[in-house]
Amino acid sequence: MSKIKERVLRAQDDECKTSHRDKQRVSVVTNATRKSGKPGVTDVKGAVGSVLLTPPDSEAVRRKLESQKGVLGKSSGKIEFIFYKILLCVLYMLYACARYTQYHYNRAKILILNLAYSPSNTPQLIRQDVLKLQKLPKRLAAIVEKKREGDVGGGVSGVLNDGSDLVAWTISAGIKHLALYDFDGHLKRNVDEFRKSVFHKLTKYYDPSNVPKFAIRIPQWNKVYFNAPGQEADDTTSKKVAIEISLLSNRDGRETIIELTRTMADLCAQNEMQLSDITMKLIDSELTQLVGHEPDLLLYFGPNLDLQGFPPWHIRLTEFYWEQDNDQVTYSVFIRGLKKYAACKINVGK
Amino acid sequence: MVEHNRSSNTVDVIEKELKQTKERFKPKAPPFPYVLSPMSILEYAHAQKLRLWSFILSLACVSWALLQIQMTLTNILKMGPLPEHVSFIMDGNRRYAKSLSLPVKSGHEAGAITLLNLLTVCRALGVKTVSAYAFSIENFNRPQEEVDTLTSLLAEKLDEVARRAQDCNSELFGLRLCVVGERSRISKELNDRISSVERMTSEGDSMMLYICFPYTSRNDIYHAIYDCAETAKYHGFPAAQIDESVLTNHMMLRENSNNCDLLVRTSGHTRLSDYMLWQVHQNGHVEFSSTLWPDYGFLEFFRVLLKWSFFTSVQRRRNSRRLLRLHTACHLKETLFPRAPKHVSIEDLPSPPQAISVADRS
Repeated sequence: MSKIKERVLRAQDDECKTSHRDKQRVSVVTNATRKSGKPGVTDVKGAVGSVLLTPPDSEAVRRKLESQKGVLGKSSGKIEFIFYKILLCVLYMLYACARYTQYHYNRAKILILNLAYSPSNTPQLIRQDVLKLQKLPKRLAAIVEKKREGDVGGGVSGVLNDGSDLVAWTISAGIKHLALYDFDGHLKRNVDEFRKSVFHKLTKYYDPSNVPKFAIRIPQWNKVYFNAPGQEADDTTSKKVAIEISLLSNRDGRETIIELTRTMADLCAQNEMQLSDITMKLIDSELTQLVGHEPDLLLYFGPNLDLQGFPPWHIRLTEFYWEQDNDQVTYSVFIRGLKKYAACKINVGK
Repeated sequence: MVEHNRSSNTVDVIEKELKQTKERFKPKAPPFPYVLSPMSILEYAHAQKLRLWSFILSLACVSWALLQIQMTLTNILKMGPLPEHVSFIMDGNRRYAKSLSLPVKSGHEAGAITLLNLLTVCRALGVKTVSAYAFSIENFNRPQEEVDTLTSLLAEKLDEVARRAQDCNSELFGLRLCVVGERSRISKELNDRISSVERMTSEGDSMMLYICFPYTSRNDIYHAIYDCAETAKYHGFPAAQIDESVLTNHMMLRENSNNCDLLVRTSGHTRLSDYMLWQVHQNGHVEFSSTLWPDYGFLEFFRVLLKWSFFTSVQRRRNSRRLLRLHTACHLKETLFPRAPKHVSIEDLPSPPQAISVADRS
């Protein structure tokens, strides 16, 4: 059914040309505070203010408040209401204090871990760490995020740097497939810079005259690039690569599935395809061709798990790993994720 | 009247059964330890401690006080923001049974009790939609005996929930129940029973409960795609008009398919296991807990809800730029005490000290 794939890709291309701006991302609530889960005084004040001033979500409470009937008389309902609201504010403050302590505890832990695990640009160290593990994931995926322009490691160059770090670690660990996801598709759009950046990073890790070969695949545009610009492999023998990297973005998620539905519906309506042809297997194989295989382990380098619209079909049994309150792409998270994967047991349904 | 009596009788019977099941999970008196081995003495002490605790908790006054505390906490939480859709992955029933060396069936029963308790909490809070992952399509790979146990348990519990939903004294009154999933995989008899229960509770409007029984999220998405293609073929729905909302409304959870605010997964695995993929992958908060499902109690759930509620308030505050109090305060300040504009011209500054170069000194 290569026809379906072609049509979906074409439709996506057209759409990409018409709309350059992507959707605004809504992050998961627990990542809402600017300083990644560490509640500041302003946050507490804001929460308290919003609780005190906005009506509650619960319909029952609102109805009760309107009917103005309390246990003790006419206005006691209101007093009860205010009493509970104040108690909620107190609970919020207590929670914020607890969270604050937890945040600092986690940060201290991460600092120590970062000291303990440092690859310092040597692949041997990474391979040694990995050799202790029982099993490795076949396919690895990671979500990278663009930080604010002014921050350390922020902006597009920060994303490129994080991505190439991950590529270097993955090659050194001996994993053959890596999918890098970023919501806005910065990596895709700057693929030439990314190739240069990966090449540069690899020359730091390996012998500059014999840098591992890599292929970068962009499923959305159905393109494959080999190595850094200017060093493309021309014959088939040198197309043997140490790693295959696919770059994903928000468009490979829901939008691809919707485009696939549209295409299939259209084909069915025009009798070019039978309804009975639509099977789970077909959809799975189409989505595998359009987006890629399901990763075994998904690493996230933010403070709280936030999938950010990662392709939903592809996270069926994927193991997630993230370090609470961490906000940097570091090797310690990477290796600890691999360790967790090595220890986990997957029994599908049994 | 007779009808009413009968239903209240059944509720009594069910309550009694519930009590019996709870009774079964009570720690039993341990055998007297072998005096010479310190390990066995420690074990004995631990078992006795557990017994003491369960005895204290079973005292009428203690359980009454606990219930009061629980109600107060629920009332407090009600005042803040509430998640619209809460979902549970009930994992760890078998391990729970194994840890107490009980048959697998009683583990599942204990899990059902936990679900009922949490449903009560959600209903009291005013959460509109709750869903629970009862059985995955992959679970058909389990031993036939266990599959049968699970199906019969589901039938039993469905009846119980339906009775409670109709009983106006119960905490679950007004609940609407819906069993979603690949219904063709279960027996016709059970299907009929489920349909009748769904019809019984179809009037309920206080809370929507989805039991996902043989369900997987991929299967759900597949069915939605298939249905969309079908409407395009036979009902002339233009294929170009299919968008996110159309596809989402074709999913099994209907209008609640788009988003799940809070997903709780117990027993320590950090994966979704083919559940709520579409609902959670954008900005749903997933809470992984290492407690086994039957042990997942009110307090832990309360902590999760408080966390969610706190961060949601913060986010709402951030999103709404019109907080009354601050605005009025700023406005008042500006009108009552107008501040002088802070424009400074360079001529107004005092002249800097004399500039002396080191190099030119000679």
